[in-house]
Amino acid sequence: MSLPVSMSVVLDTIMCQTLTSRIIPRNFRLLEELERGEKGIGDGTVSYGMDDGDDIYMRSWTGTIIGPHNTVHEGRIYQLKLFCDKDYPEKPPSVRFHSRINMTCVNHETGVVEPKKFGLLANWQREYSMEDILTQLKKEMASPHNRKLVQPPEGTYF
Amino acid sequence: MANSNLPRRIIKETQRLLSEPTPGISASPSEDNMRYFNVMILGPTQTPYEGGVFKLELFLPEEYPMAAPKVRFLTKIYHPNIDKLGRICLDILKDKWSPALKISTVLLSIQALLSAPNPDDPLSENIAKHWKSNEAEAVETAKEWTRLYASGA
Repeated sequence: MSLPVSMSVVLDTIMCQTLTSRIIPRNFRLLEELERGEKGIGDGTVSYGMDDGDDIYMRSWTGTIIGPHNTVHEGRIYQLKLFCDKDYPEKPPSVRFHSRINMTCVNHETGVVEPKKFGLLANWQREYSMEDILTQLKKEMASPHNRKLVQPPEGTYF
Repeated sequence: MANSNLPRRIIKETQRLLSEPTPGISASPSEDNMRYFNVMILGPTQTPYEGGVFKLELFLPEEYPMAAPKVRFLTKIYHPNIDKLGRICLDILKDKWSPALKISTVLLSIQALLSAPNPDDPLSENIAKHWKSNEAEAVETAKEWTRLYASGA
């Protein structure tokens, strides 16, 4: 088999490289997230899994949040869709609620979590994970400006 | 963290991989991350994978060589020890890892796994069942998948 890159170029790169990135590449990062999701997280009030077990690039995910206690969301089960594009985790995934919800950071027509109104997405860092997004959204549900908002009927979808 | 030098061990291994490649195996580091390798393994002769070119990706975690490389198939493959996401069930990638092993030994072991599927230690239950109940038919499916997904075209 022939080498894809001329060897001298590669060796030069190795020798010259002083700024070597040790960051975990996208696919292995998502495999880690998948395994963590399969094991189950914390008290089980947030969870996620892959939509299409055949998608080698692991793009589409479903997340679930159980509404926190002492809020209008208590006992409700919210489903979300997360989409991790090729540039994840440099860029955040796109996140939208599938279950209808009334929340300040969620678009009322589409269910999209609007990055401008949700700090974790607006100030995204590659260390953040889908678990962080779901956990932060759950906290957001319990925040003073969200916990008492009138909600659409349970079991309705965007 | 991102600004550390590449350990000498990794540099030497990379040089070796490029200057003395194993027949049927190629591995080259990606330009923007020298711990991330594009790998190609040719399907061994006299196996259902013969004629196939299988793409894999390999990553050396921060702890390497104290921890095993992470590696998976990107090309779809019908094999009882490889799952739908290309993850590989191989002892040296898990509890049998030793720092005395190298990238090249890992890739050789994967090549050997293609020659010797082990349906008794499966990662894909369905494929393993198929292998045990009707090996001839499972081998045919593996050949078909090689033709469909690994033709290198």
